[in-house]
Amino acid sequence: MQMTRRAGRRAAVVPVVLGAAMVLAACGDGGGEETSAASCTNTIMVEDVPVVTVWAWYPAMEQVVDYFNENNDDVQACWTNAGQGGDAYQAFSTALEAGSGAPDVMMIEAEFLGQYTIREALVDLAPYGAAELEGEYTEGAWADVTEAEAVYAIPVDGGPMGLLYRQDIFDEYGVAVPTTWEEFATAAQQLKDAGYDGYITNFAPNWWAFVQAMAAQLGWQPFTYDSASTEIGIDIATPEAIQVLSYWEDLVDRDLVATDEAFTADYNASLVDGTYASYVAAAWGPGYLEGLSDADADAVWRAAPLPQWEGQEPRDVNIGGSTFAVSEQAENPELAARVAMDLFGTEEAWRIGIEEAALFPLWTPVLESDYFADLEYPFFDGQQINKDVFLDAAAGYEGFTTPPFLTYVYDQGTEQLTALVEGQVDAEQALTNLEQDVGAYAESQGFTVTE
Amino acid sequence: MTTTSTTAGAERATSSPHRTRSGRIERDRQRWGWFFLTPFALIFLVLLVAPLGYAFWMSLHTSTLVAGESFTGLANYERAFTDPLFLGGLTRVGAFVAVMVPIQLGVALAAALVLDTLATRLSRFSRLMIFVPYAVPGMIGALMWGFLYSPRFGPATDLFGLVGATAPDFLAPGTVFGSLVNIVTWQWSGYYMIIIYAALRGIDPSLYEAARIDGASGRQIALRIKVPMISAALVMVVVFALIGTLQFFTEPSILSNVAAGAIPVHYTPNLYAYGLAFSYQQFNYASTISFALGVIVFAFSYLFLFITRKKSGLNS
Amino acid sequence: MSVQTTGGAAGAPPTERTARRRRGREADQAARGPGGSRAGSHLFLLALVLYFVTPLWWLVVAATKSNSGLFASSSSPLWFADDFSFVDNVRRLTTYQGGIYWTWLGNSFLYALTAGVGATLLALLAGYGFAKYRFRGRNAAFALLLGSVMVPLTALVIPTFVLLAEVELVNTRWAVILPSLLSPLGVYLVRVYTQDVVPDEMLDAGRVDGAGELRLFFQVALPLLRPAIVTVLLLSVVATWNNYFLALTMVRSPELLPITVGLANWQALSSGGAGGETLWNLVVTGAFLSVLPLVVAFLALQKYWQSGLALGAIK
Repeated sequence: MQMTRRAGRRAAVVPVVLGAAMVLAACGDGGGEETSAASCTNTIMVEDVPVVTVWAWYPAMEQVVDYFNENNDDVQACWTNAGQGGDAYQAFSTALEAGSGAPDVMMIEAEFLGQYTIREALVDLAPYGAAELEGEYTEGAWADVTEAEAVYAIPVDGGPMGLLYRQDIFDEYGVAVPTTWEEFATAAQQLKDAGYDGYITNFAPNWWAFVQAMAAQLGWQPFTYDSASTEIGIDIATPEAIQVLSYWEDLVDRDLVATDEAFTADYNASLVDGTYASYVAAAWGPGYLEGLSDADADAVWRAAPLPQWEGQEPRDVNIGGSTFAVSEQAENPELAARVAMDLFGTEEAWRIGIEEAALFPLWTPVLESDYFADLEYPFFDGQQINKDVFLDAAAGYEGFTTPPFLTYVYDQGTEQLTALVEGQVDAEQALTNLEQDVGAYAESQGFTVTE
Repeated sequence: MTTTSTTAGAERATSSPHRTRSGRIERDRQRWGWFFLTPFALIFLVLLVAPLGYAFWMSLHTSTLVAGESFTGLANYERAFTDPLFLGGLTRVGAFVAVMVPIQLGVALAAALVLDTLATRLSRFSRLMIFVPYAVPGMIGALMWGFLYSPRFGPATDLFGLVGATAPDFLAPGTVFGSLVNIVTWQWSGYYMIIIYAALRGIDPSLYEAARIDGASGRQIALRIKVPMISAALVMVVVFALIGTLQFFTEPSILSNVAAGAIPVHYTPNLYAYGLAFSYQQFNYASTISFALGVIVFAFSYLFLFITRKKSGLNS
Repeated sequence: MSVQTTGGAAGAPPTERTARRRRGREADQAARGPGGSRAGSHLFLLALVLYFVTPLWWLVVAATKSNSGLFASSSSPLWFADDFSFVDNVRRLTTYQGGIYWTWLGNSFLYALTAGVGATLLALLAGYGFAKYRFRGRNAAFALLLGSVMVPLTALVIPTFVLLAEVELVNTRWAVILPSLLSPLGVYLVRVYTQDVVPDEMLDAGRVDGAGELRLFFQVALPLLRPAIVTVLLLSVVATWNNYFLALTMVRSPELLPITVGLANWQALSSGGAGGETLWNLVVTGAFLSVLPLVVAFLALQKYWQSGLALGAIK
């Protein structure tokens, strides 16, 4: 009995000690204290002033935030990277639904603003001085962030489109760089016939935004929507869209374009190793290419204007582009608005953004400056790609209306494009299916669908 | 009365609540029983029952972008059980169950049986190596296989090239099913194998001697003696595999990053619920799907346990 | 009824064990096998080992390659490249974003151990309670417990998030630890093992001597339950370590993420987005290093979990 008692006591001690250790360990490490200050990736430079939390995923964001914090001593920005794109939106939406945990300032791509304004999750920035900024942004950019008199976000960067191509590959096989889509198809065939092992470009089934931009080039305006009304216009399967999608379907059928999913490791590798001879890209494309390490040292990249359709009025299109919005959970909307407006509201911040992150500014003081126009990009062996390609594209962009459930549209788009690429549907059918799906979804959400 | 409890009469005394003193003991015991349960019960109630209740509450409401939230009773459930995406997802996990569970069970059982008959260094090493994938977090395993399936990063191109063939696209809509089966088999067979192996180790070897004297071959011993004797373990393995497969989520979720076309948001019901909640902010309908799935998992598990109740030895 | 059956079962294993020990391990093994040609069996095992080990081998090899090495053009995926970059990779892993990888690893350890110990404690108490006390509502409670295993996580996540947001625990370590304290399987295992291994007679003898229930638990039952403790501990630690979905939703700040979510973030970063940095070599090396602790733990504690799982299986 004696032995068991001693052994028992030892056995008794262990769980108690472990239990205590567990409690202490968990308590000691930021148990309940999750204040914004505790979770900043950047360092706060001025103590005892209000802190505004920011979620953004720009490269080199820390430098931009540091610059802001150094130059403002009545407010400090506290930045975290809460994920890229969809991941960040999921976190944001969850926090909104739960009623807490959302940042004060949120980076939202322009096309997704509708998803949040309809839930009244974003603060109208007009009362805080945003309305006066209209002249400082391009027309298209401003159209994307405003609804009637309200300003829901501050534009940051844009994605006017152009064609990035491998000069060395085109030269090697003696093919001229296309300026129209008709020439593009011919060039694709010529490259193949000349023995090129890769594809002229990639048509990604998971990048519906790309198809949208291509169709917009022909004037496609599938959605009419205004958050004030409960009506929504959905007109997807129009002749312009069918023409564009059929064009790409044809290239796929003739095995002239690759059909790899975009933004994966394999896709990145193909971009840099010469499997794709060109990249129909937005202005953030060069930054994307540069960021892919170990690019082929012999590769010669150039930028050219986006091919246009023969006989059509040239039109400029845009993919992506982001803004800063203020969430309704912000404790001090005025300060949050100020941070949203000023983070990328200075020349120095933009110098960082352009040179470190290869962003394309929508802020006209920089956009229209000589500095930007004359900027030589080493990646393109000194070509002034802004002057040559992207400035005109940005100036001509007029905005694009998106419905407040764009994620759904993108997902359905991916499904239809996958079916298209697998040969299960043709272009017209894919677009009709999409129109029906989206229409049904809109109705289930209470909208009245009009043409 | 209490003194006799130390002798053989113990069981009788403790199991009869007739006498007053035993009655008091009985009540005390009851209190102690609940006392030991309390810490767990507390967390259980707060972090499982309460959220579940709230989720059920949410599933009884509908929220639209236009109109906001309103009480709609079981309308969501009606919608769920006529939703082709949900039903399609259910069919798909059903197909996964039909394919994956037998394969995992087969591999685990075969390996365990073989390991039971050997005691060499190779067998000990094999036992460990087969089990090790279980130590890899599911998410990291899926990440790894995403690389392995890639034509560039993975060995498939090289391996197939060795025999002069071209590697298939593992992440195409037609092949992704098999690819996922492979990932889960790789990850979990070892775990099931260990359970079965441990059960095999618990069989009295004298039974084998008797059978061998009667002239039974190794295979006959394996199939006619070993397998029936570990039927309880087999049932347990199948139930685990069933529940896990019907709730299939992590691997398709990770793989959809590299195969978005092949793995749409409604690929499995759990994935659908997640997408509805986090991508489309349809929290109410998402809760409905989760509950509907839970009910189905429950039903199938109990059905299976009922069918095999004699084998599993569970009396409850 | 249940008391009688546990009384009976508690008698069986000790005698079986002693009998087997008397017989000797070799005779034991001779009785079991071999069940067929040894060569055939070994070949089969070899094939299985190859299947299970090759992906891990790929991981080891990949962790030694630089970013360019990973792009198969320069080297075969299953063999090392010319430049052995493992040390470089680890160095970059340590310096990237201020060494956040090690913070993530530390978080995983913290969450896994804390939740593991906590879950084991709770499971021990509850399992013992179920096994040794006949109280009203016991069967119902146990059925409820078993049923909870079948609840899909997705149903729980949003409500749990809302709940924790109410008490401002979201984006803290508690948000990951608290939900991980529930181990219904652990309770089941402890109950089964206790019924098997802790005889009522011993407890009653203790009661006669005037020992309180708690003392009985700590001094009589616990020492006997060691294999179960280790098994449940291992299961909970592994479950929490592997957890991805819970941490993904509950925790935002990079310094609170466990390794699973952290690596997924890097993966997303490398795959897409404007000017995303490619961190493939970090993802792969990070994955490799993160797998090591568990593998080592399993190797070291083989004895315990194998016997523990056995009990659960037989019952």
